[in-house]
Amino acid sequence: MAGLELLTDQGYRLDGRKATELRKVQARMGVFAQADGSAYLEQGNTKALAVIYGPHEMRGSRSRALHDRAVINCQYSMATFSTAERKRRPHGDRKSTEMSLHLKQTFEAAVMTQLFPRSQIDIYVKILQSDGGNYSVCVNAATLAVIDAGIPMRDYVCACTVGFVDETPLADLCYAEESGGVSSLALALLPRGGQIALVQMDARLHQDHLETLIEAAMTACKGVSKVLDEVVRQHLQEASVLSRE
Amino acid sequence: MIKTEKVLHLKSSRGRKVRVVREHYLRERVPCFSSLCQADCEKDGKVLPGDLTHYVVPDAEVVVNYLEVLEFPELQGIVITQTACQALHSKGRRFYNRLRNLLKDPRHDCVLFANEFQEYSYCPREKGESQEKWQTRCVYAAAVWYYNHLAGLMNVVMITEDEEAVSRFSSLNSGVFVIRVQDYLQDFWPELKAAHELYSAITQVLQEKEGEDSQREFSEHLPAEVLEAGIKSGRFIQGTLNVSKHRPQNEAFITNQGLSTKNPGAEAPLRSSLVLAEPAPPPENPWEFWTHPSSRCFSASDLSSGVLVFGSKSRNRAVHGDMVVVELLPKSEWRGKVTALTERQVDEKSGDESETKAMPTGRVVGILQRNWRDYVVTFPPRDGTQSQSRNSQRILVIPWDRRIPKIRISTQQADALQDHRLVVRIDSWPSTSLYPNGHSVRVLGRARELETEVQTILMENCIHVPPFSEAQLREMPVNSPENPWTVDPAEAAERRDLRETHLVFSIDPRGCEDVDDTLSVRSLAGGKLLELGVHIADVTHFVSEGSLTDLEARSRATTYYLADRRHDMLPAVLSADLCSLLGGVDRYAMSVLWELDAQSLAVTKVWFGRTLIRSSYQLHYELAQALLNGKEAEVPELARLDPEERDTKLTELMEALEKLTHIARHLRAQRDRGGALELEGVEVRAQLDEEKNITALVPRQPLEVHETVAECMIYANHWVARKIQEVFPYQALLRRHPPPRQELFSQLVDTAQARGFAMDTRTNKALADSLDRAVDPQDPLVNRLLRMMATQAMSQAVYFSTGAQPEDQFYHYGLALDRYTHFTSPIRRYADMVVHRLLTAALQVEQGAEPAKTPAGNKDVEELAEHINNKNRAAQRAQNLSIGLFQCLFFKERDPEIDPRCVADGIIYAIRDNGVLVFIPEEANICLVCRRFLVASLLYGVKGPVYMRNKEGRVVSAGPDGTCEWQSGSVRRYTDHIITTSGSGSATFRLSGQNSGAITYLLSHPQVRISVLSTNCHADTLNLEVISNKPHRSAAPQLPSSQGRQLVQEVVRLAEEAQEKAVQRPKLPREEREFQQSKAPNLYSILEEIRELALMDLETASRVCATTA
Repeated sequence: MAGLELLTDQGYRLDGRKATELRKVQARMGVFAQADGSAYLEQGNTKALAVIYGPHEMRGSRSRALHDRAVINCQYSMATFSTAERKRRPHGDRKSTEMSLHLKQTFEAAVMTQLFPRSQIDIYVKILQSDGGNYSVCVNAATLAVIDAGIPMRDYVCACTVGFVDETPLADLCYAEESGGVSSLALALLPRGGQIALVQMDARLHQDHLETLIEAAMTACKGVSKVLDEVVRQHLQEASVLSRE
Repeated sequence: MIKTEKVLHLKSSRGRKVRVVREHYLRERVPCFSSLCQADCEKDGKVLPGDLTHYVVPDAEVVVNYLEVLEFPELQGIVITQTACQALHSKGRRFYNRLRNLLKDPRHDCVLFANEFQEYSYCPREKGESQEKWQTRCVYAAAVWYYNHLAGLMNVVMITEDEEAVSRFSSLNSGVFVIRVQDYLQDFWPELKAAHELYSAITQVLQEKEGEDSQREFSEHLPAEVLEAGIKSGRFIQGTLNVSKHRPQNEAFITNQGLSTKNPGAEAPLRSSLVLAEPAPPPENPWEFWTHPSSRCFSASDLSSGVLVFGSKSRNRAVHGDMVVVELLPKSEWRGKVTALTERQVDEKSGDESETKAMPTGRVVGILQRNWRDYVVTFPPRDGTQSQSRNSQRILVIPWDRRIPKIRISTQQADALQDHRLVVRIDSWPSTSLYPNGHSVRVLGRARELETEVQTILMENCIHVPPFSEAQLREMPVNSPENPWTVDPAEAAERRDLRETHLVFSIDPRGCEDVDDTLSVRSLAGGKLLELGVHIADVTHFVSEGSLTDLEARSRATTYYLADRRHDMLPAVLSADLCSLLGGVDRYAMSVLWELDAQSLAVTKVWFGRTLIRSSYQLHYELAQALLNGKEAEVPELARLDPEERDTKLTELMEALEKLTHIARHLRAQRDRGGALELEGVEVRAQLDEEKNITALVPRQPLEVHETVAECMIYANHWVARKIQEVFPYQALLRRHPPPRQELFSQLVDTAQARGFAMDTRTNKALADSLDRAVDPQDPLVNRLLRMMATQAMSQAVYFSTGAQPEDQFYHYGLALDRYTHFTSPIRRYADMVVHRLLTAALQVEQGAEPAKTPAGNKDVEELAEHINNKNRAAQRAQNLSIGLFQCLFFKERDPEIDPRCVADGIIYAIRDNGVLVFIPEEANICLVCRRFLVASLLYGVKGPVYMRNKEGRVVSAGPDGTCEWQSGSVRRYTDHIITTSGSGSATFRLSGQNSGAITYLLSHPQVRISVLSTNCHADTLNLEVISNKPHRSAAPQLPSSQGRQLVQEVVRLAEEAQEKAVQRPKLPREEREFQQSKAPNLYSILEEIRELALMDLETASRVCATTA
C-alpha cells in the first residue's frame, strides 16, 4: 500500500481537519486538592496531567538554590498505558529526560522566578494518552497548573507543533501525521508579546520555509492561548461562585 | 466541528495487529461542487453543471474495478465519494493517481465529495460490519445527502455491483436511485457502445480472477516493507526495468540514475532509462526532421553498467518500464550479454555465442510500481491448434512492442478481429500464470494499413491528439474576411510599438506557416551601438493560463511531426495566423532587445518586454543566403515597388543581414571557446505543395544563415533563462544538458582509433576540438559518422525546475552555456509558453507590481518539466518510427533483386561477433511513391545490422571481383576487423584490398542491399545484406558544394576568435584587479611556460610556439 496522503487536494487532513485547524482542546484546572496547582488537558487524543508543588524551600541539596530566583524542577513521564503498545519505562529514558529539560527551559522563560529567591517550584507532567504533540500538550497543561497554583507568570505559555507538507504548514499534528515523515517544529510562545519561549526542530527543512512555518506556529499558539484563557476564566467563575456561597 | 473517534485495526510493521484509535472530525459544511447548490457552498475549481438529468454516485467497488468506464468523457455529473477514493488508494498509488488526474481534468465532469467529513453523510462502521458493506452504506448516505442538499433539484443515481444494496436501498428514498452498473449503462447510455464493451471485458476479467487455479509459475514478490528495508540496507537494488529490444525473451537491464548502493556489484552509478540523444542546437523551424540514433542497443558501452536480469523466470513478471527491486545473484552466476546479432526469427540460439565480460546479474524480487500503459496488439496467425481446446475465449495476443510479453485477453470476437490491431490494457499478472491478463479497450483498424500503422505509432507512444473541441475553439479570437482581427488599442498602448522604428524580418524554411521568431538589428547612437532584437510570437496573450486551450496544449506539450502529417499543439487559427509573425501585418510579440557595443559586441543593455511589431520581410533561408552572398535574388515583398525604392530597401535589408551575420559569428565564436559542440544529426526537410502534401524530402543544405538564426535564438534563450532564474530562483523552467558519461564514448573512441584519430572526451571543449581534427580528406563521411556517434553518446537535454537541481547542474553541455531555456518557439512547444509566462511575471515583479498570477511552485514546475520531457521523448520516438514506416513502405514495393535503388553504399561503424553494423548516409537518393503521397525521399541515415553469418550457419564470402555470396564457413572477430573463412576452399578470401581473406574493416565502405522484413504483429524492418565489398559508387564522393564557403566561414570565425582573445586580454584577470599583479610577461609565467613546453609532445609544442611567437 502506498503511503498515507497527509493533505488531500481538497485540503483535508487525515482526520478531517483543514491545514490550520487545531484539534479539540478541553481542559480542567484544580483537579487535585492536595497539590498546590494542577490541571488536566486534552488536545485531541493526547491527554496530559500537570501538577505543581511550590514554591517551597529547596529540597535535597540546598547548594543548588539560587540566591536571586527560584529553581524550576520539571519531570516528564508517560503512563505505561499511554501508547498503543504498553510502555516499559514510564520515565527516565532519554526522550523523557530531554523533554523534561525542554519544559524546564520553557517555564524558566515564563515564570517570574525572581519573586521567589532561594526556593523551588516542581512541575510534574504525565502523559496519560499519547497521540502526537506531547511537548505542546505538556506545556499547555503545565501553564494551567501554574496558574492554578497562583504563581505569577509573564504571560500564558502556549505551545503547538506544526508540520510542513506540500508547501503547506499543518497546525497541531496528530500521531499519524508526526510519524508520516513530516518535518515538524514545536514552538512555545508568550502570545501577548509574541515572544518565543522555545523552538525545537530536529527535521530537515529548507531555510526559506522556516519563516512561514514559524508564522503558522505562532498563529496556532495564539489560538491555543484563547482556549486556555477561556478555561481559566471559566474556572475562576466557578471558584468565585463557590467561594461566595 | 464535531469530534468523533474511529477505531482501526492496522498491521504494525512487524506484522502484529495493532488497535489504533484515530480522531475523526466532522463538519457541517463540506462543499458539494454543484452549480445547483442552494446553500452557497464555495465553488472554486470544478463545478458540476446544473443542466444534467442526474448525478451519478458510484459505489467504492465500482470505482475500484470500473474506473476505466467512468473515464469516458460522455459520462457526466459523476460524484466520487471520499470512501471510494480511499478504497482505490489502498489498491495502489497508480490507480489513485489516475483518479486524481481525472478529478483535476477540467474536461471531465466529475468532482470529489469528502463525504466522510460531512456531519450528516458520515456513518460510523458498526461492529461486525464488513468493509464492503460499510463502504456501500457510506456511499449511499452520501448520495442521499447530495439529493437533500440540492433540495431535490437533481436526481441522484447510485451505481453499485452489490445486489443486496440494490434491493435494500432502492426503495428507501424517492429521489435516489440505486441500480447496477450494467443497468445504468443500458438505461442511460444505450448508444455508448465502447463503454458497454469495456464493461463486459472488465467483468470477464474479474470473474476469471476468482476462478484461478494455483499452479505457481513464478515466485511470489516480497512484501513492500521487506523491499524497502532491503533497498535501505543495500541488499536490493531499485531501478527501472529495461527489456532489451533485440533479446526481449532473455535480456533485461535495470537502470536508474544516481543510485548509490554499497553493494560491490553495483558500484557504478546506474543510468536512467535508455534515452535518445539530442543534437545541441534546438531545431528552429518546424519542418526539419531531426533523426536521432534511435537504437543504441548494440553499443557495448551503454550496457556496461546496470544490472542484467536474464531469463523470464528471474524477470519474475516485471514488464518493460516497471519500477522493480532486484536482488543480485552470487558472482558465480553472473553472465554477460550476448554480443552477436540475433535474427529476429530465431528465438533461442545455442550457447556457443560469445558474451561480454560477466556483468552484475540479478533477479527481480518485487515490483514497486507498475508502469503499464495501453499496448497495441495483434492476434496471432491462426493455425488451428491455438488454444481451441480448453477455452476458446481466451487468446494470447502479441504486442506490437517486442519488449512486452504476450498478453492473454478474453474476447468473443476473435474471428472478426483477426488481422486487426487493437488496444489492450494489462490487468494483472498472477504468479500462477505465464502471461499477464488483460482486456481489450478498442480496435484501431486493419493491420498494415497506413492509417492503422500511424495510429499504432501514436498509441504506442501515448500520444493522444483528438481534434480540438468546440469549447476550445470557442475561446479563440476570430479572424475571418468578414470579421478581421485587429490590434486592440488598449493593448497597443501597453506595448512598446516597434512598427515604425525597427526593421523586422523573419527567416524560415520555405513555405513555413507558423513563424514564431523574427529578428531585427539597427544602429544606435550614431553607429556606436548596435541593437539586436529577437521578437517572438506572443502566444500567451491569446492563451491564458488555465483555459481549455492551455490545458490541451499542456497535455500535448509539443507539436507532433510525423513523416506525413503533423498534429498541432495549438488550434490553427493561432498557430498559422494570429500568433504567426507573418509579413506586413501587425502582431503582438515578446521581444528581447540587446544593445551591443558596435566594436567589441559586448552587451551594454538588455530589454525584455511585450511589443507590437510588423514584420517587413518574410524571407526563407535560401533567399537570405543568396542576399548575403550578394547574388541576385528576388524579394517578393519588393517586387511591386519601383526600382529606385527597391534598391534602397534592398540595401537596407542587406545591411541588416550582414550585421546580423557578424553578430552571430561573434556569438558562435564566444560559445565555441566555451566548448560548444557541433554535432551531426542527419536532417531532412519536407517540402510541401499547395495541398500540404509532402512533395519532397530534401536534405537541409547547411547554409550559414541557418546558423545565424539559430545563434540569435540561442542567445535569446540564454538571456531569458538568466532573467527568469534571477527573479524566480526556485521555480524557473530551464533546460539543462548533463554531461555524458565517459563510458558511452568508448565506441566512438574505438571507431576513431580504427582510422587513427585520437578522441579526447574529457570535456566538451576537448571533444569538440578532437572532432574537428578527425577529418579524413579522402572520406568526408568519416567525420560525419564520428560526430553522429558522439551525438549518440550524449545524454538528453531536459527541462527542469531550478528549485529541483543544485546550481552547478544547470549547465548546458552541448551549447556550453551556464543557463539555457526554450523561449523562441511558443507556437509549437509548451515549455516556451511557460517561459513566456514566467518572463511576464518576472517583469511585473521587477516593476514592483504583484504578478497577476503567482507562478507555480517548484513542485508543480518540476512535475510539468517531467511531463514535457516525457512528451518530447514520445514525440521524438513517434517521428522516428513514422519515418521508418515510410522507408519500409517504399522498399516493400521494390524487388531488392532487381531494383538498383535497393543497393547503396554503407559504412561500417561497429563490429559484432557475426556481423557488422552499417550506416547508409543520405547520398543514396531515392524516389518513393507510396499510396497517395508522392514522396521523393532520401534514404537518410538508415542504420542497421548486417549479418556475416546467417541462420544456417553460412557465412559471407567474396569472389575475387568483390561480389559476395553465402557459403558455409566460420566468422572470427577482431577488434577492428572481422574475417570470414569460407569452408569450401582452403584458401581464405580477403575481401577488401588485394589480399585474400574475407576481412571487413571498420569504416570501410561495403555495398549493401536493402529489403524489407515483414512481420504481421510488429513493425516492418529493413534488412541489409552485403553484396559487395567494393563501394557502389566512387569511394570519394565529391565534396559538398558548400565546402568552399564553409572554409571561408571557418577562417572568419578563427579570426573572430583571435580578435576576441585580443580584446579579452586587456580585461584584467582577477589577480590583477585585486592584487595589482600583472599577468603580462613576468619571470614566473615564462618559466611556467617553459615547464609546460617540456611536458608537451613535439607537435603541440611547436604549435604553441607558433601561437605565442
